[in-house]
Amino acid sequence: MAAVGTRILTVEDDERIRTSVKLALEDEGWQVEEAETGEDAISTFTREPTDVVLIDIMLPGIDGFEVCRSVRRLSDVPIIMVTARADTHDVVAGLEAGADDYLTKPFAPKELSARIRALLRRARPTVPGNPRLRFGDLEIVPQEGVVTRGDEQVHLTKTEFRLLVELANHPGTVFSREDLLEKVWGHGVFGDGRLVDVHVRRLRTKVEVDPANPRHVVTVRGLGYKLQP
Amino acid sequence: MTDHATSFVEDDRRFGLHPGLRARIAICVAIVTLMASVVVAATTMTVTRRTLIDQREESVSRRALANSRTVEGSIGRAATQDVQTVLSSLPDAGKPSVILAVNGQTVTASLDTRFGVDAIPRSLKDRVETGDSGIMRFVIEGQPVVAIGVPLSEQGGSYFEVYRLDDIDAGLRALGWTLVLATALSTIAAGAVGYWASRYTLRPLTRIGEATEAVALGQLDTRIDYDEYAHDADLAPLVSNFNAMVESLQDRIDRDARFASDVSHELRSPLTTINAAIQVLSNSADQLPERSGQALNLLRLDVERFTQLVEDLLEISRFDAGAVRLELDGVAIVALVTSTVANLTSGSVPVESDPILDDMVIACDKRRVARILANYLDNARKYADGATGVFVERHVPDAEEIEAGVPEDELTVRIAVEDRGAGVPESERARIFDRFNRGDQGGSRGSDVGVGLGLALVAEHARLQGGHVWVEDRDDGGQGSRFVVELPLLPVDDVEEDLSAATPEAASALTLTGEHKAISIGTLDQDTGVTP
Repeated sequence: MAAVGTRILTVEDDERIRTSVKLALEDEGWQVEEAETGEDAISTFTREPTDVVLIDIMLPGIDGFEVCRSVRRLSDVPIIMVTARADTHDVVAGLEAGADDYLTKPFAPKELSARIRALLRRARPTVPGNPRLRFGDLEIVPQEGVVTRGDEQVHLTKTEFRLLVELANHPGTVFSREDLLEKVWGHGVFGDGRLVDVHVRRLRTKVEVDPANPRHVVTVRGLGYKLQP
Repeated sequence: MTDHATSFVEDDRRFGLHPGLRARIAICVAIVTLMASVVVAATTMTVTRRTLIDQREESVSRRALANSRTVEGSIGRAATQDVQTVLSSLPDAGKPSVILAVNGQTVTASLDTRFGVDAIPRSLKDRVETGDSGIMRFVIEGQPVVAIGVPLSEQGGSYFEVYRLDDIDAGLRALGWTLVLATALSTIAAGAVGYWASRYTLRPLTRIGEATEAVALGQLDTRIDYDEYAHDADLAPLVSNFNAMVESLQDRIDRDARFASDVSHELRSPLTTINAAIQVLSNSADQLPERSGQALNLLRLDVERFTQLVEDLLEISRFDAGAVRLELDGVAIVALVTSTVANLTSGSVPVESDPILDDMVIACDKRRVARILANYLDNARKYADGATGVFVERHVPDAEEIEAGVPEDELTVRIAVEDRGAGVPESERARIFDRFNRGDQGGSRGSDVGVGLGLALVAEHARLQGGHVWVEDRDDGGQGSRFVVELPLLPVDDVEEDLSAATPEAASALTLTGEHKAISIGTLDQDTGVTP
């Protein structure tokens, strides 16, 4: 069951979908706010405290991508994009706009709930007695959710942070995309590797000095990613 | 579609019995040149021969006449035995054979004994005996000769001179050979020039051919530059029609793809509502009257089936619209199969793999391979109480396949899902991968019936990756079936090579995104993520 008082903002122009999803999510124990348009969503988001945002891509007026970007500018709250099209373009564009995960219609409400729970999960605790992880100029304090590079604090979204900690907990170990999808996003076998790829890219732009030649988060060809100790 | 197009093009090229357009043009030019040369050569031969012979006849006639006058004058005064001397003293003596026949007596002045009076044709003799001079060409023992006969009016005898013509013949023969050689050379030269010139003439056709091939391979944005041919009355309509045709083809395909996409949206939205609503009802199913609960359960099961059907239909319509794209990754194939099977069957199905493949990273579309496996496993679950084993094997072409034209080094990886169901009868094996074909198994289904698109999708997923699918007997020969997918064993380096030809941006995006070989790579370049 969801934590009491967790608030989800659903942005969906189709009233029947909006209502049925609200009912199903409320059954799962979430508190649901509704918005019919992108403009509505942004004003609700600035007004009401929100823990997760659920955005339909096809919206009248400003579209889901734009809503996603606007929310991202304001907050690092987990965002799930909902799309009727699993086309590469929509998915990648959604992730590029800052979404943490995506779902295609029709989805099972239980699946949506599981995704939300996964995104709200805190980073896994590291080995006890070792609260700080150091990799060259990079320092991670998992308990506090803080990452610093040199003297500067690096601002990561929750999902980016969990991805980094997941890799950092076992430096040098190669994680396949499937491993990471399961550990960070809670996805099953048909998880989309692009999710990992886009997040790794975003992570690199923040923690690497030269994102094009990463020294920490490196690719292991054909296998996945690892954190270079 | 793509495969067909490629093999069609190749077949056409391989088909050597029908010469290509260029060869045909070259052959035509050569034939016309040959005919013209033959006519010219024959005319030359005839005219030359005629002229040479006429000249020779004229000159020898004149001389024979003069000689006959000399002889006539001489033998009037001389005795017969001196006639020989007279004949021998004629100018150019010995060159012609001179025969003098007077009152049955014949005197011959010639080294060539073949040319006696008997050699003179009867008709010429008769003509001369009746008082006319005559000339005649004939052949003696294979030697062409010309004989001139002059009547000797005073003595009443006949005077003949016989000349050999073989020097003319030898000359004509030399000329003939020269003409044959010239004809042959000009024919060959004409063919070569025709072949070369046709390349220039046919360049537009070659261009159209390349464009057509590109379109056949799926590059629908291919166009031919109209301006280049606008001045050419023959080619301009062809080029503009070609462009118009490709344009409408592209429109059509775009429309189909858009239609699939629109249908997708239209069907998915209500299904989302239905799914969510059923979920809400199911949450309180225990409070429903029993009959309503039963009805809800039926509704739930069929909505699941309907959802799957919509998914499959959309997926297959994307294949039909050519809207699918292959995303080749470097994949540790054994690990992929093992984890997929473990995930989908909760570890109840064992996976056996060829040790040689264990650490091998091959290029394939991970999602599609997982889809294929999921559909096979699902099929086994529905129709055969679940799979009994999954096998990952490397296949090296055997003697039979090499005989059939499979290259010796064409390695493949075969993934097989075995079950202990009723098996698939021989007659059904080809059809079972057709759309909506459930085979004979269809009759004995329980409530959990598939929609008949699963295996058709498996075939499409495999085909897109250059592989194929089939069903056969179990390896151990027992009852049941073995569903196989065979994929080309592409070392991952091949994928890299492909990409090294791409732009540096795409190549760097590749490393950034973990060797994702999707056409969408470019769109990943622009990072609009959160800034620190």
